Amino acid sequence: MKAVILAAGEGKRLRPFTEAMPKVMLPVANKPILEHIFDAIKKTGIDEIITVVGYEKEVIMDYFKDYKGLKITYITQDKQLGTAHALLQAKDEINESFIVLAGDNIIDNKSIQKLILDRSEYSILVKEHPHPSKYGVVFLENQNLVELVEKPEEEIGKFISTGIYKFPKTVFKKLEQLNKQGIHDLSSVVQSLLKDGILFSTNTADSWMDIVYPWDLIQVNEIMLQNIKVSTGGTIEKNVSIKGDVSIGKDTKIYSGSYIVGPIIIGEGCEIGPNACIFPSTSIGDNSVIHPFTEIQNSVIMNNIHIGSNSFIRNSVVARGSILRHNFTGSSGESIIEVEGEFKKVKNIGSLIGEDCTIENHVVVDPGCIIGRKCNICSMKRIRNNIQSNSKVM
Amino acid sequence: MVKCLILAAGEGKRIHPLTFTRPKVMLPIANKPIIEWNLLNAINAGLKEFVFVVAYKSEMVRNYFGNGEKYKVKIEYVNQGEPKGTAHAIGVVEKFVDDFIVLCGDTIFGENDIKNILNTKKSIGLYKLDNPNEYGIVETKNDKVVKIYEKMDKPFTDIINAGIYHFDKKVFDFIKKTSKSSRGEYEITDTINIMAEKSDVSSVMLEEWRDVVYPWHLLDANEEVLKKLDKKIEGTIEKNATIKGKVVIGKNTIVMNGSYIEGPVAIGENCKIGPNCYIRPYTSIGDGCHIGNACEVKNSIIFDSSNIPHQNYVGDSIIGSGCNFGAGTKVANLRLDKNNIIVTLNGKKIDSKRRKLGVIMGDNVQTGINSMINIGSFIGNNVSIGPGATVKGVIEPDSKVM
Amino acid sequence: MCGIIGYNGFRDADNVILDGLKKLEYRGYDSAGIAIIDKKQQVYKEIGEIKNLEKKLPKIKGTIGIGHTRWATHGGVTKNNAHPHLSTSGKIAIVHNGIIENYIKLRENLEKKGFKFVSQTDSEIIANLIEDNYRGNLKDAVFSAIKKLEGYYAIVVTCTDEPDKIIGARLQNPLVIGVGDNENFLASDIPAFLKYTNRVVYLDDTEICVLTKKDVKVYNKDEKIVDKKENVIDWNIQDAEKSGFPHFMLKEIYDQPDTINQVLRGRISEIHRNINFNENVENLLNSNISSIQIVACGTSYYAGLIGKYIIEKFTDTPVFVEFSSEYRYFGLKHESSLVIAITQSGETLDTLAALREAKNSGCKTLVITNVIGSTATRISDAYILMQSGLEIGVAATKTFTSQIIVLLLIALKLGMIKNKISAVSLYEYIRYLREIPRKVRDVLDKNNEILDIAKQLKNAKSVFFIGRGVNYPLSLEGALKLKEISYIHAEGFAAGELKHGPFALLTKSTPVVVIATKDSTYDKILANIGEVKARGSQVIAIAEIDDTEIEKHADFVLRAPGGSGVLPSIPIIVILQLLAYHVADLRKCSIDKPRNLAKSVTVE
Repeated sequence: MKAVILAAGEGKRLRPFTEAMPKVMLPVANKPILEHIFDAIKKTGIDEIITVVGYEKEVIMDYFKDYKGLKITYITQDKQLGTAHALLQAKDEINESFIVLAGDNIIDNKSIQKLILDRSEYSILVKEHPHPSKYGVVFLENQNLVELVEKPEEEIGKFISTGIYKFPKTVFKKLEQLNKQGIHDLSSVVQSLLKDGILFSTNTADSWMDIVYPWDLIQVNEIMLQNIKVSTGGTIEKNVSIKGDVSIGKDTKIYSGSYIVGPIIIGEGCEIGPNACIFPSTSIGDNSVIHPFTEIQNSVIMNNIHIGSNSFIRNSVVARGSILRHNFTGSSGESIIEVEGEFKKVKNIGSLIGEDCTIENHVVVDPGCIIGRKCNICSMKRIRNNIQSNSKVM
Repeated sequence: MVKCLILAAGEGKRIHPLTFTRPKVMLPIANKPIIEWNLLNAINAGLKEFVFVVAYKSEMVRNYFGNGEKYKVKIEYVNQGEPKGTAHAIGVVEKFVDDFIVLCGDTIFGENDIKNILNTKKSIGLYKLDNPNEYGIVETKNDKVVKIYEKMDKPFTDIINAGIYHFDKKVFDFIKKTSKSSRGEYEITDTINIMAEKSDVSSVMLEEWRDVVYPWHLLDANEEVLKKLDKKIEGTIEKNATIKGKVVIGKNTIVMNGSYIEGPVAIGENCKIGPNCYIRPYTSIGDGCHIGNACEVKNSIIFDSSNIPHQNYVGDSIIGSGCNFGAGTKVANLRLDKNNIIVTLNGKKIDSKRRKLGVIMGDNVQTGINSMINIGSFIGNNVSIGPGATVKGVIEPDSKVM
Repeated sequence: MCGIIGYNGFRDADNVILDGLKKLEYRGYDSAGIAIIDKKQQVYKEIGEIKNLEKKLPKIKGTIGIGHTRWATHGGVTKNNAHPHLSTSGKIAIVHNGIIENYIKLRENLEKKGFKFVSQTDSEIIANLIEDNYRGNLKDAVFSAIKKLEGYYAIVVTCTDEPDKIIGARLQNPLVIGVGDNENFLASDIPAFLKYTNRVVYLDDTEICVLTKKDVKVYNKDEKIVDKKENVIDWNIQDAEKSGFPHFMLKEIYDQPDTINQVLRGRISEIHRNINFNENVENLLNSNISSIQIVACGTSYYAGLIGKYIIEKFTDTPVFVEFSSEYRYFGLKHESSLVIAITQSGETLDTLAALREAKNSGCKTLVITNVIGSTATRISDAYILMQSGLEIGVAATKTFTSQIIVLLLIALKLGMIKNKISAVSLYEYIRYLREIPRKVRDVLDKNNEILDIAKQLKNAKSVFFIGRGVNYPLSLEGALKLKEISYIHAEGFAAGELKHGPFALLTKSTPVVVIATKDSTYDKILANIGEVKARGSQVIAIAEIDDTEIEKHADFVLRAPGGSGVLPSIPIIVILQLLAYHVADLRKCSIDKPRNLAKSVTVE
C-alpha cells in the first residue's frame, strides 16, 4: 500500500518561519515535521510514499532524497489550490487503495496502522479535541462517519477530522469531477462522497498534533522530546553536568561547567558553553554555538545559530542562521499576538525570531514579539512589537 | 542429504555497540561465535551440508568458517541482499536446498533438539519460556501447529516459537504467497500460518534454547555454555598461580604467579594473565588479551586483543575488541539501592532485570587513568575517556568524554 | 558516459539488473535496456528514464543477463540505438560504455561479410565483431575482437552458445567485478551491486574477465590468468539521486550551505578560538614551510589561485600555483616546499603524477580531496577530506566551494602557527566562516533574479568575466562554468589586463560580467566598467548589497555579500554558478553531462 503526503502548502500562520521553507520542514526535536511522519509511516510497513510538493519544494527534496529504504516520489502541485487538488496530482502513481495524510500533522504509526487494517474501502482517522471548531468537526454514528462540518461557527461536536483518510483508487474520479467544479479541498470531497451514500468507517487516532501557530512548535517540541534517542556524542569536557534524558550529536562539544537538564536534544557540530545552561525542553540544531553564561529553556533553536554570552532565552523559537549577540534577553510572559489578522492570547511565550536575523548586543525583546526574517536590530534596542521581515531597527 | 540452513544475515541493532563491526551471529560466547555453537551441535546431530544466509558484514562469517574444511563439512554462502525478513531470507536459497532444516543463527540450539527436528519432517521447534512477552507464541493442538501469534503484551501461553524449522521444497510456494507483515517484512511465521491451514505442521518441544535479544543476554548465554565446558589447559601456568574448577586456557597463553582463576572460565590463545590478578567465574577472555596486576574480572566477556592491565575492576560487563583500560579504570555494576538496573537502548528505557550490570563497551575504546564507568553504560566504538572522567548512559561512537 | 551491468548467478536477473541500473542512472538517463538469456537473448529497450523500461518489462525468465543505461554519444536517442545490441544472428549481446573511433571502417568490413546493422551506434559493431571472431570460445572471440577496436570502452558480453558465462573487458572506462556467493557481477560502478556483495575486484585496462556463477577469472592481454586482489568495501557509498531537481548540477549548487558546514565540522572551534586538522596534517603544517606549491587541474586550479591570495596574505609565505600537467614535467621541485594537490576525485591522472614527482623530489605533500581511500590520499603525507558528498554534475560546484573553504582553513591555521594572526582576529575569521552558509542561502533565494540576467547572456557569442585581486580567479571560474555547460565562448581576465590586448575582442555583443566588490581596487573597477561601456558592451556587475554607486555604471546588477578584505566571496561564486546553469538551461544544453567532458579525468 502507498501513502500520499500533502506537503505543498506554505503555512502562512507560521510566518516568518515559513518564508523560506514549507511548513512541513519546520523542526521539532531536531527533525522536520515531515520526517516524523516518514518515521511513523516506515513503521507501518508502507514502503512507498508519494509526496505532493509545491511551496519551496527544493527544501524538502534536498533534505530527504530516498529515506531509509522508503521510496519517495515527488509530485509538484504547481498552484496551491487546495488539498483535494493536491491529492489529484498523485493520480498517476496510485493503482490501489492508499492512505493520504497532511505533511504538517504529526501522527503515530499505530493510528496509521488502524486505517490500513480497517476492512472498509473508505476510512477516516478522527480525534477527540477540546476545541473542535477550529477544524473539520465530524459526527459519527455507529463508528461510521455521518457528517463533516468544516470550521463550524458554534462549538459543536467533540471529534475532529485529522485529515487522514484511506481511499480506494476510484476516489480519483470523484476528485476530478469536483475539481472541474472548482472544489479543491478534501473536506468538501468527503462531504460529497457522504451525500453519495459512501460508507466511511472511522478510527480514533492515538497521538495527533497539529502545528498552526509559531508557539505550537514549542509545545509539540516538548512532546516529541519525550521520545528522543538518549545518547551522548561529541566531546564532553570535565565538570559538565548532564541530567535526565539528553541526546547530543556527533562532533558537538560541551565545555566545562555547562549544565544540561533533559529532555534536551543537541544536534551535531555544536559548541555549548563553557558554563552554559540548557534546560528542558529545548532542541538545539546542528552547527550552533551557545556562548558562556547563556540560559536557554523550553525553546526550539534551529541550525547554524549563534547565541552570544549572557543571553536569556525561554519559551522561544529561533530560526536557522540567526545571530544573537551577547546579552540578548528574550522576556517570557503572556502576550496577545497578531497572526494573519487574528489576535491570539498566548501564555508563557518568549521571542519568535525568523531566519538569518542579526541582533546586536544588549537587545531586549518583549514576550510574544515576532521578529521577521533577515532583520537587523542594533544594539541596546527594546523591541515591543512585531518586526517585519527584512527590516532594520536602528 | 538434508541440508542445514543457518540464518546469519542480521545486524542485531539491539546489540549495539557490539554489532557495529560484526554481525550478531559472530558475537562470542565462551570464546566461540554464537553461530559456531550451532554449527558444532548440528554437526554432532549428523548434518554435513550447510548453507549460511549472510548479508551484514558477511566477510566476518565467511573468513571465519571458510568452506567448512576445518570442520570436515561443506559450507556454502548465499547473500540475502536486502533485510526483508526471515521468509525472504529462506526464499533466497530455493535453488540450493531440497529437504532442509533452518536455524536462526543467533539462537543456540542443543544437539539433541536438532536431531529431533531432523527426524520430524515439516516441523517447527517450540520451547516453554517463563516470560514469553518478547516472543511469538504458538497455539498447538495434538502436537500440530494451529497458529503462530506475534508477540503480545499478555500472552495466553508460555510456548514460544523457538526459531528452528524443518521444511521441504514446498515451503517456497508458500513463501511466495506470504505478504508483508505489519513491520514491513516477509516473516516465516506468516508463511507457516498459511502452511498450517493447508496441511499438518508438526511441533517439537525443545529441551534447550538460548536466545540473545539484548546485550546482557550474552552474559547469560556465556554462563550457560561455560558450565558445560571441560577443563583444558594448553598454555603455561607458573608455579604460584592458582587455577580452580573448570578452566580452559588456550595455546601460548601465560598465567603468571599470583593469578587466581576460579572456573568456569575460558581464556583464549596468546594471552598474558597476571601477575596477581583475580578472574572469577563465568568470565570469557578472547585471544591476545592482557589481564594485569591487581585486576579483578568477574562474570564478563572480554573480546580479542583487549587489555585490562593495571588496577582495574570489570564485573558483569562486555568489553569489545582492541580496548585498553587505563590504570585504575573501574566499572560499577551494582546500584547502591540494589534495585534492577534500567538501561536506555535506542531511546527506550528497558529493565535489564539484572541487579548487576556493568558496561557494554564496543571496540577500540581507550580509557584514561582512574576513569569511572557507571552501571549499565553503553560505550560506542573508538570512544576516548579522559583521565578521571565519569561515564554514564549511552556514549555514541567516536566521542570523547574528558 | 553510460552505465553497464552484467549478472550471472542464481537470482532472477531482471530484478538484479534493474536495481543495478537504477543505481547507475546518474551516468546517463536518455534510454535503457536489458538482455537476459533463457535459451535465447530476451531483449527489452526503452527510451527515457529507467522507470519507463521498468513499467514495460514483463517477467523475464533467466539468471544471466546484461543491462545498460545510456547517454547518447553516437546516434540519436532511439529504441534501436539503445543497448544491449545483438549480433546479426542474435546469439551475442553486448553493452558498451565508451567510444569506438574506428567504427565506420569496422562496420564496412563487417557489412561486406554479410553482417546487418540496425542502429547508428558504434557499439553495435562490437557485437558483430565478436560474432565474426567466434569459433566456439567466447573468451577467445572477445580477445580477438578487442584487438581490432580503436577507442575506449568497457563492455559486457553474453552468448547463447555459452550461457554459463559473462565476459567483461575494459580500456580506459571503468569496469568493476563484484564477487558474490554463487553469483558474480560486473558494473561501471560499485553501487550497482553493493547490496548483494561488498567484495570488489578492480579490472585493469586491457584485462578481460570471465565470470561464471561460482568463479571469476581475469586474463591479461597476453591471455594469461592474473591473480587479482579482492577488496572489501566498507565505506558508505552515497546514493546519487537527483530527487526532484531537474539536474544534478542544480541540486549540488543548492547543497552548498550544507556542504560548507560539513567542511567546517569538527575543524573550527569558536570557543577555543582555533582550527584543528587531523594529526598528520597538523604535523605537516607545524613543520618548517618556506614556500608552498599548489598543483591542480581545471576548477581546482582556480581554487588554488584563490588559495594563493589568502595563504600569502595570512602567512607571508610565497605560494606558487601550477597546472598539474605542467608541474609534472616542467615544475621546479624543491624539497623545502610544501606541495598541496587539489583533486576532488583523488584520481585525476595529471595531479597524481604531479604528486608522485613532488614526493620523489623530497617535498612534503598534502592533498585536498573528496574521496576517502582514493589514490591521492595514499600517495601524500597527509590529506584533508572535503566531505562534500558525491558530486555527479561534471561541472564542479560544491566541490569548488569546499576546496576554497579548506584552503581558507589552511591559510588561517598556518597564519596562527607563524604568529601572523592573533587569536582575536582568528575569532573574527571563524565567525565569518560560520556565517557563509546563510549568505549562500541568500543568493539561492535570488535564483529568479539570476535567471533574468541569464536571459541577457543567452544569445551571446562570447562573454568576458573580469575582476581584481581574489576576484580575478573568481572571474576565471565564472568563465569556465559558462563555457563548460553552455558552450558559449567565455574568458576571464584580470581587470587591469583588459587594456593590454583583450579589449580588441570587445564588441557591442560581448557582455562583460564584472565582479565589483568594495575592496581597495573598487574605484579602478569602476573605471574598467567605464572603459568597457565605452566600447558598447553590456555590463553585468556583481556587487555588494549596500553598494549604491554601481547602478550608475553597470547595466545590470546582481548583489551578494562581499568577502572580507582578501577573503573571496563564496556567495559570488554561487551567483556565477547559477548564472552559468541558467544560461545553459535556456540554451537547452545537456547540463549534467556536457559534450566531450568526463568527470574525474583519469585519462591523460
